[in-house]
Amino acid sequence: MDTFFNVWHYDGRSAVRRKVEIQTIGRQFFLLENERRHGPFSFSDVEYVTRKENVDVYGLADVDGWRLMLSGPVPAELAELLPAYRKYGGWVDRLGLGKATIAFTLASAAAIAVVLLSPQWLAPLIPSSVDKKLGDALVGDFGGRFCSTPAGDAALQKLVNSLDSKPQDLQVEVAKIDMINAVALPGGKVILFDGLVKQARSPDEVAGVLAHEIGHVREKHVMQALLRQMGLAVVLGGVDGNSGALVNNMLAMSYSRESEAEADAHSMKALGNANISPVGTASFFDRLSELDGSARNRDEGQGIAGYMSSHPLSRERKKAFEKSIVKGKNYKPALTSAEWTELKTMCTQDRKAKSGFGFDFE
Amino acid sequence: MSEDLTQRHSAFRFHGSWQEFAKIAFPNLLLSIVTLGIYRFWATTREREYLWAQTDFIDERLEWTGKGMELFIGFIMVFLLLGLPFIVIQLISQGLIFRGETVLAGVITLLMFLLLFYLTGVAYFRALRYRLSRTYWRGIRGGSNDPGFGYGLSYMWKSFVGWLPIFLLVPWSMISLWNERWNAMSFGPHRFEANADWKPLMKRYLLFYLVPFLLVAGLITVAIVAAASGDQLGAIGGAGMAVGGIIVVLAILSLYIILPLAALAFYSKYFRLAVGGLRLHNLEFDFRARAPDWILFFLANMAIVICTLGIGYIFMPYRNWKFFVDHMEAYGEINIDELTQSKTIVSKHGEGLLDAFDVGAI
Ligand SMILES: [Zn+2]
Repeated sequence: MDTFFNVWHYDGRSAVRRKVEIQTIGRQFFLLENERRHGPFSFSDVEYVTRKENVDVYGLADVDGWRLMLSGPVPAELAELLPAYRKYGGWVDRLGLGKATIAFTLASAAAIAVVLLSPQWLAPLIPSSVDKKLGDALVGDFGGRFCSTPAGDAALQKLVNSLDSKPQDLQVEVAKIDMINAVALPGGKVILFDGLVKQARSPDEVAGVLAHEIGHVREKHVMQALLRQMGLAVVLGGVDGNSGALVNNMLAMSYSRESEAEADAHSMKALGNANISPVGTASFFDRLSELDGSARNRDEGQGIAGYMSSHPLSRERKKAFEKSIVKGKNYKPALTSAEWTELKTMCTQDRKAKSGFGFDFE
Repeated sequence: MSEDLTQRHSAFRFHGSWQEFAKIAFPNLLLSIVTLGIYRFWATTREREYLWAQTDFIDERLEWTGKGMELFIGFIMVFLLLGLPFIVIQLISQGLIFRGETVLAGVITLLMFLLLFYLTGVAYFRALRYRLSRTYWRGIRGGSNDPGFGYGLSYMWKSFVGWLPIFLLVPWSMISLWNERWNAMSFGPHRFEANADWKPLMKRYLLFYLVPFLLVAGLITVAIVAAASGDQLGAIGGAGMAVGGIIVVLAILSLYIILPLAALAFYSKYFRLAVGGLRLHNLEFDFRARAPDWILFFLANMAIVICTLGIGYIFMPYRNWKFFVDHMEAYGEINIDELTQSKTIVSKHGEGLLDAFDVGAI
């Protein structure tokens, strides 16, 4: 600390340092430099700029580079007229560091809670026309990859009708893509990949997977996930890239587990209502988990890995389907064997449908 | 009145201490965490205020007058102008791939990357402009009237030309862009002049460029010699294996040690040449850090971060600034009466673009 009160001034027009004295007149002041007098300036225009070690630096509103620099013990009557020292700035200075930390923590927790919880009740409020448009924009005709034959379409429609009470809001298609996968998309769209249909051993298996995807549609999981992702992107936008993405993925993951469980529950219920045995679905999951260990090097390995990443398999899932078997119930097959053959061979029969995924230019 | 710098020890001096910086950095870390990162704009501002205020140029300390709110607004602008459109474009191109319009999706993605590349160049320019316009010395600031859109184009084509001949012209593009950037900047009434020459940089660059080849060649020689001697000393057995193991370890070590060292040696020369080519009216600049200084600096930084389990990372702005100021030198003279206020425009928003891409200014 300097022992003497020291004042100097830059007028913002040139870099000349001016040794001055402050002459206070009411709410105004002059700066006296040898024979020159600068001012008058109003105390209400004075702004705190920064502190340079033991020097407090003040500026003047609307005068670029105008500086008043004070060091040493500032006279009390002058200090009263000058703006206060700013440490953190704004709210933090007003509340104090401790209280500000608590307030910010609560606000952040509230923001995250809103983003995570609101999609559940926001998603149903999105008009179905918007949902539909989004689905159409995203999928369109899927690049002509949807397979269609009269008998195959009828078999698929029969399956959908037996699994859902309002099949008219759903658009279920089989796509000529050799991957063991199925997806639910906005606008009630469900796409079964031909690879999945081909490797299924019974129509019951396809029914279980289809009912699971319909479950995603009925529970509005797609729109919920979309809203949640957008909300998280906004809230976590301030966090630096890596840790933000990590938190985001972890939260998304825990929610996708929950959605999968809900979709499974929906599937079991729909199978029960349709009088279709869940045994097929259970064995389908069982086969997938067995394939997972050995099939990564084979051609279809990629397809299974794809299904795994969006639909985590676990023993519990398989067990849940096994548990939902009602002993003694007289289950009937989801499709007749003629219908099943038509569905299974639909993509082979439909020569107009394009095959593959993405990078072929035929 | 004029300041002659010729007899002075160094025009730039840094007075800060890491203990004082810690009192800023730790609360900053805390507040950044509890605000999900939003406070980091104010955190950066407080750190710069301290670092600038601890930096003497001749007889007056620097001032940082940037505001956290400016950086925040810049960030929001980037999010709205770039972040959201990019998310939408990504959705569209995904939809296009779904529909089989792979070529169109590829073109859109390519255009997106080109735009991002262009904006990175603009961001470099604007960050430097922003920093100069917020840096005051004796009430005088710097800046530029150039918005940097032309620089963005230069950044694209010069980088491309640098890469085209198997990356051999990178030194030319780096120096040429440095010169272009600084030639557009000014401080007070004076324009910066940047005339760094790129040719003296080539030797260091070739050293860095050839290191991987030299390493591979060296290792092959060692391996052949070892194999030959292994044949002769076949009786010892196992020795060949041991030698092989040592070679692998050496290869990995040299890749992780020699290559970064060569890169630092190149960068130190680049920075020395670039700063050495800089002039402001009658002032000339010099950066005295040589390759060993950079290497020690870099190793110390690594040691600090590792020994503190990463927390030392918050001291990196302090370390970087101290290293920069400690090695900066200016010669010549300043006519204080002639050093009048800058007439460049002052943009209201901060380094938004820059923060989004996370690049450094100088
Ligand atoms: Zn699912």
